[in-house]
Amino acid sequence: MTTRKGNIVLFVLNNAPLILFAAVFGGFATLSPKFLAVENLVNILVQSASIGIVATGMTFVLLTAGIDLSVGSIMFLSAAAAGKLIAGGQPVSLAFAVAIAIGVGYGAINAFFITRLKILPFIVTLSTQFAGRGLSLLITQTRAMNLPRLVEVGSSKILRIPVPVWWFGAVVVFAHVVLMKTAFGRHIYAIGNDAEGAKKAGINTTRVVFLVYVVSGLCAAIGGLVYLSRLGLVSPKLGLQREFAAIAAAVLGGTSLFGGRGKVFPGTFLGAVLIQTVESGLVFIKASEYVYPLVTSFVIFFAVFVDSVRHVKLQQLKRRRIRVAATG
Amino acid sequence: MSDTILECRNVTKSFFGVPVLRNVSLTLKAGRVLGIVGENGAGKSTLMNILGGVLRADSGSVRLGERDHAPQNPAEAFREGIAFIHQELNLFTNLSVAENMFIAAFPKMRIVGLPLIRRRAIREKTQALLASVDLHVSAEALVEDLSPGERQMVEIAKALGADARIIILDEPTTSLSSRETQRLFGIIHRLRGQGISMIYISHNLGDVLRLCDDILILRDGRVVGEGPKEEFTLERMISLMVGRSMDQLYPSRSARPSGEIVLEVKSLSQPGIVENITFQLHKGEILGISGLMGSGRTELARILFGLDAFEHGEILLNGEPLTRCSPHERIHRGMAFLTEDRRAEGLLINASVEDNIALVSLPSFARALPGLVNRPEMLRAAGRAAKAVRLQCSSLSRQTAKTLSGGNQQKVVLAKWLLEKPSVFVLDEPTRGIDVGAKFEVYRIMDELAAKGVGIVFISSEIEELMGMCDRILVMAYGEIRRCMARTQFDKEKIFRDALMENQLP
Amino acid sequence: MTSSVPVRSRAVWRRLLFSEHFVLYLSVLYFLAVWPFAPRLASPRNLLDIFSNMLPLLSVAIGQTFVLVTAGIDLSVTSIIALSSVFGASVMTSDGGLLSGSILAVPAGIAVMLATGVAIGLLNGTAIARLRMPPFMVTLTTMMFFSGFAVWLTGSQKISGLPRAFVGLGVGSVGFIPYPFLIAAVLATAAHVTLSRTVVGRWIYAIGHNARAARVSGVPVNRTVVFAYAASGFCAAVASVLYTARLETGDPVLGQRILLDIIAAVVIGGTSLFGGKGKVLWTVFGVLFITLIDNSLIMLEFSHFTIMIVKGAVILFAALMDALRNRLLAAQ
Repeated sequence: MTTRKGNIVLFVLNNAPLILFAAVFGGFATLSPKFLAVENLVNILVQSASIGIVATGMTFVLLTAGIDLSVGSIMFLSAAAAGKLIAGGQPVSLAFAVAIAIGVGYGAINAFFITRLKILPFIVTLSTQFAGRGLSLLITQTRAMNLPRLVEVGSSKILRIPVPVWWFGAVVVFAHVVLMKTAFGRHIYAIGNDAEGAKKAGINTTRVVFLVYVVSGLCAAIGGLVYLSRLGLVSPKLGLQREFAAIAAAVLGGTSLFGGRGKVFPGTFLGAVLIQTVESGLVFIKASEYVYPLVTSFVIFFAVFVDSVRHVKLQQLKRRRIRVAATG
Repeated sequence: MSDTILECRNVTKSFFGVPVLRNVSLTLKAGRVLGIVGENGAGKSTLMNILGGVLRADSGSVRLGERDHAPQNPAEAFREGIAFIHQELNLFTNLSVAENMFIAAFPKMRIVGLPLIRRRAIREKTQALLASVDLHVSAEALVEDLSPGERQMVEIAKALGADARIIILDEPTTSLSSRETQRLFGIIHRLRGQGISMIYISHNLGDVLRLCDDILILRDGRVVGEGPKEEFTLERMISLMVGRSMDQLYPSRSARPSGEIVLEVKSLSQPGIVENITFQLHKGEILGISGLMGSGRTELARILFGLDAFEHGEILLNGEPLTRCSPHERIHRGMAFLTEDRRAEGLLINASVEDNIALVSLPSFARALPGLVNRPEMLRAAGRAAKAVRLQCSSLSRQTAKTLSGGNQQKVVLAKWLLEKPSVFVLDEPTRGIDVGAKFEVYRIMDELAAKGVGIVFISSEIEELMGMCDRILVMAYGEIRRCMARTQFDKEKIFRDALMENQLP
Repeated sequence: MTSSVPVRSRAVWRRLLFSEHFVLYLSVLYFLAVWPFAPRLASPRNLLDIFSNMLPLLSVAIGQTFVLVTAGIDLSVTSIIALSSVFGASVMTSDGGLLSGSILAVPAGIAVMLATGVAIGLLNGTAIARLRMPPFMVTLTTMMFFSGFAVWLTGSQKISGLPRAFVGLGVGSVGFIPYPFLIAAVLATAAHVTLSRTVVGRWIYAIGHNARAARVSGVPVNRTVVFAYAASGFCAAVASVLYTARLETGDPVLGQRILLDIIAAVVIGGTSLFGGKGKVLWTVFGVLFITLIDNSLIMLEFSHFTIMIVKGAVILFAALMDALRNRLLAAQ
């Protein structure tokens, strides 16, 4: 019966991220059984924490049909600032606080240009990305910084779970609650759906969009710090092109680039972990380093393809069933 | 004796020096429905936008009860008790019904420092409001899963939830099925009994006469007629709207169809959409397709034009079968299609008028130098086409389609297709959303085309205009053709009953 | 009488501000403003430098213009530049290349480079048009894939030893006209004619305005979109020829840093990200502006990092001007 087949197809398409995740996971597990070891799974979570946090902030922006191409530079700038302070003998907590402040400030600058001067987010964040990277290179003088003290922080565990994973979890849970259960979150979805209508309904769209970019900056700074504490190293390539990875993670998780659709959990969380799973899996089966971008881009392409098919199929199924009785 | 709840006095508004409202005064009494009619450009939308807080009047006063009413924005007007329900509903499709209701003022509770929405509270309140408009959907249902009629009910429930005393309905029945329209009218009756006043704006003059207590007629920004509905007839309303008496609503047909078949459809089927469609269209014939919304007429038209596929049957254009699912091929073989929704599929709204008119025929202006467009020739042809449809537009090249009225926009679409000199022209709701004067123009163009031998398929929800223009009428219901009626047999009731017969959808 | 003079100058200002050539005027203004601080800016050699830097960027930006007018975007152009460079060099290099030493090496090499651009463009266009995938994501993934591919193929090594005939393309000239200028000029003219005077060009604009309405009106939307992306790939490959000839090496990370410059140039020139609006001439001005910024900042002897910061700020400023202009125009 066509309807039952239709239902199965629809189910697959709607849960594509989850199914894809299971497929990739299963694939690597069969290729190398040690993949399923708890230690490895925890490791994947640790490694996806940094980009996952950045992607969570990106989700906020994408939901309003905006985009933030500067997150990679924000990661770099906050990590570089923190690194400089720590290398100069300052306490870690102060350095981290400064880094967070930088992230928030950077996001506010983006937000200002976008909401007050009304320039397209694409251009604003593309420009600040460039300027921000220049500033970071200036601070670090293009030299790498080694901070072994931080690695202690980054690899410590609370209740046997590594600190980065706690950060990841906390950010995801907090973001999820804000998006789904607060007025601010619901306003974000409304703006993504119909910005003009949101204004007419009395929503302060300027304030909401402003805050959204601040959130993105904040998450990028936290992501930068998590990265820093894991590796203890600030290299000139920190954060390079990470905005694309963040966008890919969000889109893989079901966020639409047109706004109004997408979730942080399971969505973006799963997207980030999926991308990291692919990379970790490749390391596990000892694939050449050169192959990583090839496989990763393939997986992302496939996921976006499935989403497009889902979109088309949904349109077809929604078209009014004029002769429902006939197909029975 | 009901008291006055809203009063406008000498409201005037101009845009860039062009007066749009001139000394408009109206009175709205509690518990009465005021119908406002007028051609496009008569000022209805502007007046409502002033009441609804989208625009501010240049001069004049608006009094709501005892106070002056001059809202700075729609949200303020809403708070003062005026709910403006637009044609394009202001709902967020990605949110639930309850969230839409409370979008501007969520009740909150603080947990761990975060202001969380009180979900149970809004769900319960929403259910109560939905019950008051007889809408049986869940408060948590996503708006995108609701039908247009259900969405409209949500808007009305929202207005009630905000204790609106005045509800303005702008062209509310355009996207509704017949059943949903009946339901809407029922709700309007009920609300009226509860003392709520309504302003009802519509091009459907019959509905206005039936539904409203008082009628106000605008023309060129001025009030040209007002009073209780008993003082009005359809003819009087039309003549006031248009400023002259219309001897006929429809031009008399200048020629008869020939016997030559120009389009033949045999047993056309697409599972779930249309079933066993068979008919012939003759040269110079206007063939009407009647039926309720959702009966498959537009779907049939799209299949005929190659926008959607079909699994069984045949379509023969001028004797040759149409095989590929391609509008390109149809156009090449002489078919034209005016779509239901001109903004979405008929026009390039931000492009110039002349770019719009030339769009279909572009290849024909590039014959001399292959690929290169002969611009002067193209502009001349566009100018001729614009004249043929009597398009009112100051500059074809500098004006964008966006700046034209609905009627003129439709003329642009017609001009675009006329340049191709089609032999078959499918028109899907060509007079929807355009005023009486422009409608007559469209009928005239249709008659001229038919006289030249073009076969026309005329899809419409207005039985009167089909009866006025067509040689034959097909009645569709549930994806099938129920009946084919020749002009001599035209019977409005029969058509209506046929359309309703199978369409007993829940 | 005295009131007519200020009125006239105000009218002149308005005409300048709203002119199509606004970015050109902005560039000239900028040039004049910076000149006193860096006199060498106007030296013939520097002007030639600006010019030759402009040309490869212009080539790839022209292709991007096509795509932006369809309301799409092509992020993969930098990877096309890199991969073309690698493929071409592999064919031509005297160091074990496929056709090393043969007379056919250079023409075949160039042909391979152009074919690479077109092939990747066809891939992009097909995924976007037929599979209905969003342009941003499609071209993002192809960018990741093909730049990774280029690095994989060469093991991150550059390929040198390119034949003199090829390298000559970068520096040689026909009489007074340098080859790169000739190539870029021909490309720009062809693109301009295509976009503004041909049927395909008008179809591209129509699709950018409203793809659904275009389809109903008989525009072959799929084929046209594929064409736009293939054109973008082709233009990126032409840029690759110019860059590779100038650098005299096949480089798997060629062009990595110029994505911002390309998009900024096209958008500042006036082409809209939303589609339906754009011209090749505007892109020429936008590229001129960006190149001028780069060049002048180097002349002013700012450090590499400061240049990045200032460039970001300048692009932002230009975008602000553009937004302001549009708003004033709309309010008229």
